[in-house]
Amino acid sequence: MFGQSDLEQWLCPAHSLPAGARYAPPAQRRGSARPVRNADVVYRYDVGFEGFLCCVFESFSSHEVPFAVWTPERETTTLYPVKQIETDPQKAGRVFASFAKKLGKDTERLIMTCFLSGRDDKEVLMLRFLHLAYATGPGVLALLGHPDVAPMYAMQKHTAREVEKWMGFIRFEESGGMLGAVIHPKNYVLPLLKNHFCNRFPEENFLIYDATHMAVLLYQDHKATLTELAAPLTLPSPDEKESYYQQLWKQFYNTLAIQQRRNEKCRRTLCPKRYWADMTELRDEL
Amino acid sequence: MEQSVMDKLIILADSAKYDVACTSSGSSRAGRAGMIGSAYAPGCCHTFTADGRCVSLLKVLLTNCCAFDCGYCVNRRSNDLPRAAFTPRELAELTIEFYRRNYIEGLFLSSAVLVSPDYTTELMIKALTLLRQEYRFNGYIHAKAIPGTSPELIAQLGLLADRLSVNIELPSERSLGLLCPDKARRSIFSPMRQIASASAASSRELTVYKKAAPFAPAGQSTQMIVGASPESDYQILRLTEGLYQKYSLRRVFFSAYIPVAEDTRLPALDTKPPLLREHRLYQADWLLRFYQFRADEILDEENQNFNPYLDPKCNWALHHYHLFPVDVNRAPFEMLLRVPGIGPTSAKRIRAARRQASLGLDELRRMGVVLKRAQYFITCRGFAGAHTEAGSAGRQRIVRALIDPGAFNAGCEQLSLFSAPAVQQLAAGGMAPRLAGKLVQEEAITCLAKAI
Ligand code: SF4
Repeated sequence: MFGQSDLEQWLCPAHSLPAGARYAPPAQRRGSARPVRNADVVYRYDVGFEGFLCCVFESFSSHEVPFAVWTPERETTTLYPVKQIETDPQKAGRVFASFAKKLGKDTERLIMTCFLSGRDDKEVLMLRFLHLAYATGPGVLALLGHPDVAPMYAMQKHTAREVEKWMGFIRFEESGGMLGAVIHPKNYVLPLLKNHFCNRFPEENFLIYDATHMAVLLYQDHKATLTELAAPLTLPSPDEKESYYQQLWKQFYNTLAIQQRRNEKCRRTLCPKRYWADMTELRDEL
Repeated sequence: MEQSVMDKLIILADSAKYDVACTSSGSSRAGRAGMIGSAYAPGCCHTFTADGRCVSLLKVLLTNCCAFDCGYCVNRRSNDLPRAAFTPRELAELTIEFYRRNYIEGLFLSSAVLVSPDYTTELMIKALTLLRQEYRFNGYIHAKAIPGTSPELIAQLGLLADRLSVNIELPSERSLGLLCPDKARRSIFSPMRQIASASAASSRELTVYKKAAPFAPAGQSTQMIVGASPESDYQILRLTEGLYQKYSLRRVFFSAYIPVAEDTRLPALDTKPPLLREHRLYQADWLLRFYQFRADEILDEENQNFNPYLDPKCNWALHHYHLFPVDVNRAPFEMLLRVPGIGPTSAKRIRAARRQASLGLDELRRMGVVLKRAQYFITCRGFAGAHTEAGSAGRQRIVRALIDPGAFNAGCEQLSLFSAPAVQQLAAGGMAPRLAGKLVQEEAITCLAKAI
């Protein structure tokens, strides 16, 4: 569905670092098979993938899985001590390089997809998984029923499903030759949508604005960029031509329903209400 | 008065909406510089209608002016209704503008018979050529071939479309003769055969010569109307199986008949569309395509119709209870597929995971197995199968786990469209729908438990 290279490009500036530094997580080093413990400590990092990689580094060097991992947006009060994890590109690069090397490309990809998950506890789940993964090797992927592996697949599935939904549900509006769309996803799906839309509309200029994460994917003059914004973005309201096509589309949509078969529940299962605000034909029904 | 595109769209989408085949699956094509569009093999739903159906394609008729007079169809010659026709350019423009806004995956073009099948097909070819060549459209196109079209034109159509379909319309020749006097069985099956062989030949060519023009790369599908004529479910399923085997169809679609005309040859106007039956047919169709079932395992001469209360797979399992329980860690893949509560995905996961480690209940649950149903049919590490008390109480417990709640109006105050006929009857007699559902459910459980 989506290319490995996209993920790398968006997620991991560290990827471009020289992968020379060989890194074996401490747990794997001979003679240091100290058991991993659940620690009453909270990690706090800067939300970026590199920052998370540094959490991995910390978790392995102190043989612990923290009680929770926070980002600046996800802080609550706690009695536990908080460890501030500084982002260090070099450390991050070493950890990242070891994914493919020790755990295989597929595991690396699973980790990157899971990082896009919108779950609040994704980091802890990923750390648990990683401790198991470094102890097991690439075979860890086959332990589908393992309590530390299953949540990874669940996150991957949830994200992939949402990506698939947005592939269909995104609605562009044209304004001055640019197609613009707004989405409110739960997971950080833009990196995974990029390939699909760039491939589909090679000759268009378009942007997709993720209002949940305040990020925008811009494709202009055959080049795509993903940027995080400091302030929310508002798209221009539709002009006459745009409104005309929206009318046609809504009309088409309403014509399609067969009254004798009306089934609201089924529609809401397949197209949950949380998508409706971003869909031209359903917005009015909210 | 001149019709606007809006007027035409209303008329021509309305006429096309009873065609249920609206998927964009089967073709995979990357976008190309200078063009617009790509095709995504699993298909993509762009929205869902109020009746819960996926909308993937701009599904319209080129025209609804028809020279034929098929009894079950709104567009038949003798019906008085507004008529319209798109010009090829109007259609191409609409497709492109919808596509750019990501409303659709592509176009599903079908048509009533204007003048003659050949005349209509030529118009369709014109519209599609415009779309592909001038508008550089590289997305999905599904075109409906009209029975009776000459082979040369079908050959051209196949080069423009991803998928072709010829509707078989009714499940038997007798019904076809009765309701569609203008369509002969031969006029349906000969294009089907032509498409099957052309499509196979082109995929062979493509393996040798990459630039060969693909002919309907997403294959062909067909659709038949269920409930307008007297065929049994078994007959329909056998026909379906035959179509898959003989014409290598990708999909067979079923469409519950919705009365559109007062006609002595057809069910009365107030007949409800047999949605539950349609639903069971689709379930059985899945069993044929993904679960390695044969039609005569699902139904047979004695049992010609589906059990309204159970999905066909659970029905099979109940009637073959002596083959269970199976050991999840050892059972062949085909058998895993037959366990209620295990689908193709979880079966594949089990097959992969059991090579690594012996599986217990927790692992199965985490792999997506529905233990509520599966527990009576499996054993695994640390689990010797759910044992129920002996006698009818125990059997009833199993049935209760398998039964399809949808058939009993479960949880609805209003009568659901999917309710079993018995529930509908009671409700029609004035009983509260919820109570009717409960009553019929208890009846059904007692009765099914005896069959184990
Ligand atoms: S030929 Fe097609 S459109 Fe015309 S009446 Fe028959 S089914 Fe309807």
